[in-house]
Amino acid sequence: MKYRSTLMASAAVAGMLCGTAARAETTLTFVWHAGTCADAIMDIAKDYPDKSVKIVPALVPYGPEWHNKIASEFAIQGDAFDFAMWDSQSTAEFAGGGHAVKINDIFDQSSYLKADIFPASSLSQYGEYPDGSGQFYGLPVNQDAYGLMYRKDLFENPEEQAAFKAKYNRDLKVPETYQEAKEVAEFFTRPDQGLYGWGQMGGRDYDFATTASNSFLWSFGGELYNPATMEVEGYLNSPASIDGVQAYVDMFKYGPPGSGNWGFDEVNASFQQGQLAMAMQWFYFNGSNADPKVSTVAGQTGFGILPGAVGRDGLFRRQFSVGGQGMGINKYSKKLPELVKFMEWYFQPEQQTRYAAVCQTGLKAVLESPEWQGLNSYNAQFSTALQYLNDYWHLPEYPVLLDILQEEVSNAISGSKTVEQALTDASARHERTLERAGYKIDRKGGAPEVPDTVISPVGQAEVTPVNQ
Amino acid sequence: MEQPLQKRSTGRLMIIGFLSPTILLLLFMVAYPIISLVYYSFHNFSAMRPADGMTWAGLGNYEYLLTDRGIWQRFVFTGKFVFLCVTMQMILGIFVGYQLQKTFKGRDFLFTALMLPMMLSPVVAGFLWRYMLNAEWGVVNYLLTGIGLPKVEWLSQATPALWAAAVVDTWMWTPFIALLATAAFRGIPETIYEAAEVDGASPAYVFFRVTLPMSAPVLFIALILRLIDCFKQYDLFVAFTGGGPGSSTETVSFAVAKTAFSYFYTGEASALAVILLCIIMGLAMILVRHLSKMGER
Repeated sequence: MKYRSTLMASAAVAGMLCGTAARAETTLTFVWHAGTCADAIMDIAKDYPDKSVKIVPALVPYGPEWHNKIASEFAIQGDAFDFAMWDSQSTAEFAGGGHAVKINDIFDQSSYLKADIFPASSLSQYGEYPDGSGQFYGLPVNQDAYGLMYRKDLFENPEEQAAFKAKYNRDLKVPETYQEAKEVAEFFTRPDQGLYGWGQMGGRDYDFATTASNSFLWSFGGELYNPATMEVEGYLNSPASIDGVQAYVDMFKYGPPGSGNWGFDEVNASFQQGQLAMAMQWFYFNGSNADPKVSTVAGQTGFGILPGAVGRDGLFRRQFSVGGQGMGINKYSKKLPELVKFMEWYFQPEQQTRYAAVCQTGLKAVLESPEWQGLNSYNAQFSTALQYLNDYWHLPEYPVLLDILQEEVSNAISGSKTVEQALTDASARHERTLERAGYKIDRKGGAPEVPDTVISPVGQAEVTPVNQ
Repeated sequence: MEQPLQKRSTGRLMIIGFLSPTILLLLFMVAYPIISLVYYSFHNFSAMRPADGMTWAGLGNYEYLLTDRGIWQRFVFTGKFVFLCVTMQMILGIFVGYQLQKTFKGRDFLFTALMLPMMLSPVVAGFLWRYMLNAEWGVVNYLLTGIGLPKVEWLSQATPALWAAAVVDTWMWTPFIALLATAAFRGIPETIYEAAEVDGASPAYVFFRVTLPMSAPVLFIALILRLIDCFKQYDLFVAFTGGGPGSSTETVSFAVAKTAFSYFYTGEASALAVILLCIIMGLAMILVRHLSKMGER
């Protein structure tokens, strides 16, 4: 009897202890694509002082599955995750659908988390919806930009320099314009030696072709649409936009055969094997591309800023796609107080400095520190690159508009349509999508040849060198 | 002799009692989703934007889809893909199955090894073949150039991409046909073959006049299953081509999934799913009726 009583008492105490432990532990789940930066967050989160809070990743591969996982949970108004890192353009979709927590409320209540700890432009790009409203639904947790990587051993080789000068009557240097990049890429394209001049993404998956082609389109003075009138016809298929996308499609001539369907993995693999003299790639991957354990040409790799272009109006523009993600909060999460406390800790310079050692932070204090800028061979360029970023539609219809442009640009790459035909078809389909969504398109017509001249103009009379 | 009334009604109650859990489960698992699907297909509605509500669209979603050139292109591609895959898989599967029904040393090991591709996830197979078919460093082009043939840009041009996808699906699913074919061939009584041999029938005659007709019902079931499976192929293409180049390798199922879970056009996706369901059911009904007639013969 005594034995039975002791056993029951022990069981009751054990049960209470287990119950207490279960009650005390809070898990904060986040969704992101798997990779170095998600690993970095997990590593840093291990040192979160409140040991009753566990940060749990729910990682998916980069691409549509990642967007769809977040979107599906929002569609059922579920709380399977508490926060998520999503692409800047998705903010409109998720905030517009009423699924994301408005960060302004947190700014108002928190003593540390304030808008001014982030660069204003970054906060706007990753979290503002609608544009210019001052309402934020995401924080710049992982900034990114397109960059340029190149083989220093080729560019600095005296024989190559002399041969280039003899052929093009100018010095061989890292290109500042796509016109220059085309010549350099042509010069280094030597299939018999297994060397190609240029690598870039063109795949149909997710946003591969669009982010790359947009960088050319904007640099040549093109635009995706006119946000004031919602016109797409005349803007997306303007002569300047066609010039840009044509220049992008032409660059595949200087890449390995079949590179028209490449994603970032293939660009990295090809560059790391020493097949490419130059490649257009996200800064996100620079860590691995500079790692001798990963890349056979790591020691000879230079990192720079993507070229711009001299448009048909004679003005120079350098614009490329914003990458990276903002951190948004699930409105249906029941753990907002715990999450805000974690964010207040995570966005401290100490944690962000650790994060910035492997990924790109959005915290102003770290971005501006000389220590961070000198940490490796590309942080300083990244800091400069941020001023040339542009983004596509901040509209809830983003996934549809993106998919249409992906399809049409892919058609142009494969040659099944001309660039002009592809962009004209994309324009018509975009306008149809916007009209179905209830937008009123104010068709004024008469779009200029170079739409950038009327929409947030960035054209300059002179080429501004940044890669010297 | 007629059964007493009370006994008959007790029996009927028992039948209803036994069947009702299954019927209720079926209604919940099949009828409810299908009715919801049809209901949503007549509405404009986005699961991502519930605040916007649901508005009656009538046949609007169907009209939009059936007048959209892009959807027809996806149907055409799906048709080509199904035709290529099912034809190649049936021919190869029957051939392999016929060889595997014979008894030879190492047969069991070979049989198991041949089944391996079928056990892979289509997404894994898609990624695997995507790299193997890479134009520059893929093993397929390496082998082609080794025998003096030019490199092929498998996945960046529409026609090679269709053929490549059909080959990958055939690589994965021919073992399934071979498995069923082997079982069917082995089920044919040995005495029939002996009789044919006594009559002096050639091996080809025996194959076409004895083996194939006698295993036709099983092979027909295999055909139906592959037809339906190929028609709703989605995951392979997500990893393999992403639907490109352009939209040249997008199946109808791919379009349904994209419209539903990427665009979140829930009403339009439901209408497209209803169209797809009608086609698959219609096709299956024709084939099942044919199968029944075959059984009667």
